[in-house]
Amino acid sequence: MHRYPHWPIHLILGTVSILMLIPFVWVLKTSLTGENIFSYPPAILPQNPHLYYYVDVWYTIPFFRYLVNSVIVSAMVVAANIVFNAMAGYALSREFLGKRTIIMLFLSCMMIPFQVTIIPAYLITKQLGLLNSHLGMALPVCSTIVCIFVFKASFDAVPSSLVDAARIDGLSDWGIILKIMLPLSTSAVATNVILAFIWSWNNFLWPLIIIRDQDMQTLPLGLSRFLTVVEGTTGALYAFCVMVLLPGLVIFLLAQKEFIAGLTKGAAKG
Amino acid sequence: MQIIKRRKTRELFLLWLLLTPSLAIFTLYRIIPLFWNGILSFQFWSPYKPAEFAKLYHYQEMFFYDDAFWRVFWNTVLFMASAPVGIALALGIAVLVNTQVRGRNVYRTIVFMSYPVMTVAVGIIWQWLYNEKVGLINYILISLGVIGRGIPFLQSFELALPSVIVASIWQVIGFYMIILLAGLQTIPSELYESAAIDGASQWMQFRRITLPLLRPSVFLCFVIGIINSFTNFDLIFVMTQGGPAHATDLLITYIYSTAFKLSKFDYAAALTVVNFLFFLALALLANKASGGEAGAVEIGK
Repeated sequence: MHRYPHWPIHLILGTVSILMLIPFVWVLKTSLTGENIFSYPPAILPQNPHLYYYVDVWYTIPFFRYLVNSVIVSAMVVAANIVFNAMAGYALSREFLGKRTIIMLFLSCMMIPFQVTIIPAYLITKQLGLLNSHLGMALPVCSTIVCIFVFKASFDAVPSSLVDAARIDGLSDWGIILKIMLPLSTSAVATNVILAFIWSWNNFLWPLIIIRDQDMQTLPLGLSRFLTVVEGTTGALYAFCVMVLLPGLVIFLLAQKEFIAGLTKGAAKG
Repeated sequence: MQIIKRRKTRELFLLWLLLTPSLAIFTLYRIIPLFWNGILSFQFWSPYKPAEFAKLYHYQEMFFYDDAFWRVFWNTVLFMASAPVGIALALGIAVLVNTQVRGRNVYRTIVFMSYPVMTVAVGIIWQWLYNEKVGLINYILISLGVIGRGIPFLQSFELALPSVIVASIWQVIGFYMIILLAGLQTIPSELYESAAIDGASQWMQFRRITLPLLRPSVFLCFVIGIINSFTNFDLIFVMTQGGPAHATDLLITYIYSTAFKLSKFDYAAALTVVNFLFFLALALLANKASGGEAGAVEIGK
C-alpha cells in the first residue's frame, strides 16, 4: 500500500488545514491586538498582544449574565434529555401494544424540522406564559428523537437474560433502568449529553424569537446583538467570539470520539 | 389468569407513562404546530384581530404578486445546489485522510473543528474576513494584484450569496468528511487488493469500487445539504440579515422577518407550508434515489 509518495498528500491536506484554521487564527489575533481594525496592511503575526478587549467584554456588556442564562438553559436541556430519552428508549426496547404506531409517529416527527413550526410554537409558548423564560427556551428541545433511538439501540443490546434475572430477583422497571440499563449504556449517555449540550448551547433562532428581555439573553443572542451595536469595529466583539467559541471547541477536543459517533448517528436530524 | 392480565395492564400503563414526556413535547412542539400552521395559512389573522377564512389568498399573493418570494425561493435552491461542491471537496479530503499518511488524525480534527462551534460566531468571523477595507480576503486579493481596491462582498448584489455559501461550506465540510470517512472505512480492503492484482489503476479503483460502495454516505451528505439549506438561519441573519435587497434571503430567514418583524403571521404561515412541502418532496426524493437508505442509516440499527 506504500507505493505512492506521501508528500503530495501532505501538501494538499496541509493547505486544506491552513484554509480551515485561518478564520480561527484571524479572530484570535484580532481579539488579542485589535490591530486589523485600525492598521493597514494587517500584520500576519500578532504584535504586542494584550488582554484589554477581554476585560472590555467583561465590563461593557453583561457577559456574565449571558453566560449564566446559557448555562441554565443548557443544563436543563441536558438533564431533561437524559431522563426523558432514557425513559422513552426503555419503553421502545420492550414489546407492547401500540409500539409500531409510536415508532412511526417518532419517525414522522423527525421529518418536521423545528424551523417549520416556529410561528405556532411561538404562539403556544406565549399561551403557556413562557416567553422570556429559561423553561420556554429549553422546552422544545427537552427530548430529541435521534437520542431516543440511540438509547433504544443501546438498551436492545443488553442481554435479556440479565434483565430476566433482575426481574426474578424482584427489581422493578425503574430499578432495571437505573441499576442495569443506564450503567451499561455509558456511551449512549455520553452521546446524549454532548449532542444536547451543543444543540442548546449554539441554539439561536428559538431564543431570538421568544426572548425580548435583556436579562434573559443567552450568549449567541448577546453576541449577535453586540454586532449590531458596534458594527464590527471593536476588538471586544472578537474577544467575545473567542469566549463563546471556546466551550464548544474544548468539549469537541476532549470528547472527539463520542462526539463524532453521536453526530453520525444524529446526522439526519432536522 | 386474572393476576397475569392485571400485570400486563399495569406494565402497558407503565410503558406508556415512560413515553409520556417525550410524546407531550413532540405533540406540543411538532405535531400541533404543523397543523396549526396549516390552518393559519388559510386565514386572515394577526395577534390583535379575530381569525377570518381567507381561502387561498396568501398563496395567490405569494405565487403571483410577491417578487421577493421567488427571489428567496431561488436563493434557497441555489444554496442547495452548492451542496455537491462541498460534498465533492469533502470526498477528496476524506479519501486522502483515509490513506496511511502520518498525522491523519490531526488533519481530520482540524478539518472537522469548524463544525461544532457556534454558527453566530462563525458568521461574525466571516463578515470580518469579507470586510471591504480591512478584511483578510480583500487584503490577500489586493496583495496578489487580482483586484485594485477592496470589494464589498456582502454588500454586493451578485457576490453576497456566493460569499455566504462559501462560509457555509467552510463550516459544514468537516461534517461531510466525517460521514464519508465512516463510509470509506466500511469498504473491505481486499476489494482494492484484488483489483490491484487485476491491474486496475488507482483511478479505476476509485470509480469502480469506492464511489459505488460510498453511495449511501454520499446521499446522507445530500440530505444534510438539503436540510442545511432549509435551516441555515444563523449564518444569514448574522452576516447579511438577508440583504442587500433579499439577495441572500433564504426561505427560513424570509419567514422569520415576515412573521416576527412585520407581524404578518398568516402570510408567514403560508410561506412555511410551501417551505415544508418543498423540503419534504426533496427529502423523499433523495431518500428514494439512495435506495431508501439515506435516513435509515442511523435509525435502523
